[in-house]
Amino acid sequence: MVEVTVDQLTRIEGHYRITTQVNEEGVVTEAQSMGLMLRGFERFLQKQDPRDAALLTQRICGVCPTSHSLAAANALDQLFGVEDAVPKDALVVRNIHQALNTIASHATHVYVLWGTDLSNPAYRDILANFGDTGNAVWNELLGRFAPISYRLDGVDIPVGSGYAAAIGEKRRLHEAISLLGAKMPHSVLAHVGGVTYGPTVADIGQLAAYYWQVMDFVENFALGVSPETWVENTHFASSPQKAVGFVVDRLQELVDASLVTYDFSRAAGWGDVPLYAAFGSELVGEEVLGLPVSMRLDRIGGYSDPSKIGYLSYGVFFKPELGDGYDPTSPPDSRVMPSGFLDGKLKLSRFDHRKITESISHSFYVDSESDRLPLEGTTQPVSDPDEIDYSQGVESRYSWVKAPHYGGIPCEVGPLSRMLVMQDPLIMGLMDLFREKGYPAPNTYLRMLARMQEILVVASELLKWLTVDLDPNGSFAVPTDLSMAKDSEGMGLWEAPRGALGHWVSTGSDSKVTVYQAVVPSTWNLAPRNTAGVPGPAEQALLGTKISAAGNALGVDYTNPLGIFHTARSYDPCLACAIHTVDLTGRRKEQVRVI
Amino acid sequence: MGGKGSFDRFKQLDFMKMDRRTFLRAVGALGTSLFLQNYRSDIVKALEFAETRIVWVHGGECTGCSESLLNGGEPDLLQALERLNLRLAYHEVLLGQQGIYVDGKLANTSELNSELLFEEVIEEKGYILVAEGAIANGPAGTGKYIMLGGKTYKDIFRRAAENSALIVAVGQCATNGGVNSADSEIKDLMDFRGVAFTMEDGEKGILRELGVEKPVININGCPPHPDWMLLTLAAVVLGKIKVPDDLPAVLDEWLRPKVFFPPDHVIHDNCPRRGSYDKGEFDTVVSGEKCLWKLGCKAPYTHADCATRRWNGYHSFCPQSGSPCISCVSPGFPDSSRPFFQEIEDVGIAGTNIDTVAKVAIGASLLAVGAHAIRRTVVKEGPEEKEQEEGPEEEKQEEAPGKKAGKDEGGDQ
Repeated sequence: MVEVTVDQLTRIEGHYRITTQVNEEGVVTEAQSMGLMLRGFERFLQKQDPRDAALLTQRICGVCPTSHSLAAANALDQLFGVEDAVPKDALVVRNIHQALNTIASHATHVYVLWGTDLSNPAYRDILANFGDTGNAVWNELLGRFAPISYRLDGVDIPVGSGYAAAIGEKRRLHEAISLLGAKMPHSVLAHVGGVTYGPTVADIGQLAAYYWQVMDFVENFALGVSPETWVENTHFASSPQKAVGFVVDRLQELVDASLVTYDFSRAAGWGDVPLYAAFGSELVGEEVLGLPVSMRLDRIGGYSDPSKIGYLSYGVFFKPELGDGYDPTSPPDSRVMPSGFLDGKLKLSRFDHRKITESISHSFYVDSESDRLPLEGTTQPVSDPDEIDYSQGVESRYSWVKAPHYGGIPCEVGPLSRMLVMQDPLIMGLMDLFREKGYPAPNTYLRMLARMQEILVVASELLKWLTVDLDPNGSFAVPTDLSMAKDSEGMGLWEAPRGALGHWVSTGSDSKVTVYQAVVPSTWNLAPRNTAGVPGPAEQALLGTKISAAGNALGVDYTNPLGIFHTARSYDPCLACAIHTVDLTGRRKEQVRVI
Repeated sequence: MGGKGSFDRFKQLDFMKMDRRTFLRAVGALGTSLFLQNYRSDIVKALEFAETRIVWVHGGECTGCSESLLNGGEPDLLQALERLNLRLAYHEVLLGQQGIYVDGKLANTSELNSELLFEEVIEEKGYILVAEGAIANGPAGTGKYIMLGGKTYKDIFRRAAENSALIVAVGQCATNGGVNSADSEIKDLMDFRGVAFTMEDGEKGILRELGVEKPVININGCPPHPDWMLLTLAAVVLGKIKVPDDLPAVLDEWLRPKVFFPPDHVIHDNCPRRGSYDKGEFDTVVSGEKCLWKLGCKAPYTHADCATRRWNGYHSFCPQSGSPCISCVSPGFPDSSRPFFQEIEDVGIAGTNIDTVAKVAIGASLLAVGAHAIRRTVVKEGPEEKEQEEGPEEEKQEEAPGKKAGKDEGGDQ
């Protein structure tokens, strides 16, 4: 048995470590997911004016600040008792704000944070065995995904075209956000009772211009077909089979042409998504399309025990047709992307926020009880330096991340879960196909494809909010007064790019904050073991992973554990979000009621 | 400050022949884009200078400063790196490497292993260290609240700092502790530090704790404007700011470049809502178009060029989008700005516990700089006696950077 540790796992937000035990076949037999950094966010909101939370909590994360500010604004709406009155146009602006952030965050992840691993030299070595096709594909991977300051065998490699273009598109999307929210990261805009800014007709025109520029990139760089065509034939397909059929047919045309010409360039129709969709998967690429080689990302990142995993979405994006106000418990029919819970066998049930608990049994906190509801949690960081030790194995405390559950079950959150809860035909169809053919379902390949698919789904809704639903002459905020927050509670359920995000707040008789709590996506995905010893989602997904490229295609290389990089990064880890401390004293317990 | 007039003036100038003062004004007035475009031929000459390496480290942070850096205008970060002959030698979010250990030993090479890359890079010395995020000193001075690659970030920062030529702290967390150091019951246990200051306290900068003396430039802001970061790096790389000799003259008492954080200018001066302020028209509900003073706007005492430079494509800045300025460039942020949404009159000009230098300084500059009208119309009672404390700026810059205690004024509290 060999211990392979990735510390730190870079190209994520924050500081993260994975320790694995790997057997002689190069397969992970045990994994630990470790958050390496303590933060103290919710504590400094205590005793303060709750309205500050929308601006301050976004400082948890510079990649998804929008989500935190909106989750906080939602919680404040209920705290101030105005959730029924938030104007429709304010809700539409919140949708637009989140959609722009989600697209920017996903694009950054796909190209810069995750995609960079596609230029790992292990793929060069594998593809070198496949003649002109292999060399052509390697040149595409390196030419598109090489990061800044990249060197291979001492040779400087130019920054990849996709990597560079994605930075430009992210900048463009941030400029669009700033039309509404002044700047990015850490926009203004989200505010109790509405938003701080009502877009003008000119703003809407300019936002639309930004939108079409980004869609040009999607068409020419990412997809190779128009986003409308893609969404119509996948997300809005009449059946999962038709959605999968559309993608496979499209890929087959490309493959048939390129296996003759050895041209896998974007000009030949190989956008980044088709290139990934074909060469990322053994089933799609090798079995269905007849490619000689693939990265076999569909062989890693699955869950071996369906009783120990679920897929959760809190729901996101208000439905404009429902008019002013919204239900803070996020019933499934009230959000464009619905709330819901799927168990490990994909049985869908209605989301109930009261089923969320957090465990600290393997985290660096001290408490008399190891499992609590979010609003009852007392989080006291260990203060003895000797207790902070990452080398004591799975029985010890080994992370600053807590372990949340839904009805006792660790859950994956994020684009894959949202697409599954939303029953997106393409992702559902591929799930079925992988399961039928004996592949892990889901897997790392599908987790990333779901993120790409979500960009397109969100983009298609965004255009409607912008050009149909948003009325520049509408109302954008209802008046509030601090006294309205006296002795109150609020819950803000939302979906960040990385997954389910909840903010909870309560106040005392002076309207000041007594409790502030956030349960965030990476806390779900990167959780350590829970009180029952059940590993968190990423830990489960790493089990059984062949650590080297393409399922150890060239044998086991412990020094380049690409399988671990791919799977761990596929969750788009955000450690700054995942780690937060809430209460040192526990004295707020008596103030808590169940919302 | 910015504006078309100064642009026309500056674009006529020969960049290489400019004296430093003019250069800095030009850097400040033009965005990165215009600056690099106008002086492109000069910068090509500058490329004859040796490559400058940037080592960028991350502590207790949200990566928002790196995100902001990526939002640099035309040319973007990648082009700026090329034109300024910069090599981003280490950056945990943007580079390909990661830390890899096999049975506890470092594995592979620096082309894949970030731990080995880090060792190689700091061995070479002479780089510019960019620090993003606060440095955890807790628990009990061990720094173990942030660990990377089996080492404390405190130790990693120390080693990176010792071999650097200059430290540029970007963002509030690195400059002053920022949100990490905000008041709470676990603040002292966590003991997060900025590079040269912790909040307003120059004694508590991590450099002093570590016994390391290096020149420091603070680029404040939560996050900082990409121009502030890129243009500061450009000025240093091109030799227009000599380190450390020029620093006392170009930095303010908080080690911020005066060109972006002008001592004689506050955001309020150029606010597009200034007209409604002058007419005494104030919004009391967000999403309106009038002055945000009654919603708690801190622009009247915030020294930054947000209102003229504007953000993300040079579109907007916070009050323009209907939200009060929260003074995220002030050393005491966020505590010195809270509560965000209450009129300053309500909470007292200098906050409820007037015991820190920053708060006194805020009171002083609020009264001294462009805010006489506020005092006349809004401030009923306040520390008027602070008005004359605002002394000439230049004389305060004598002390070496990194050593400023920030205690040299307002001591009468």
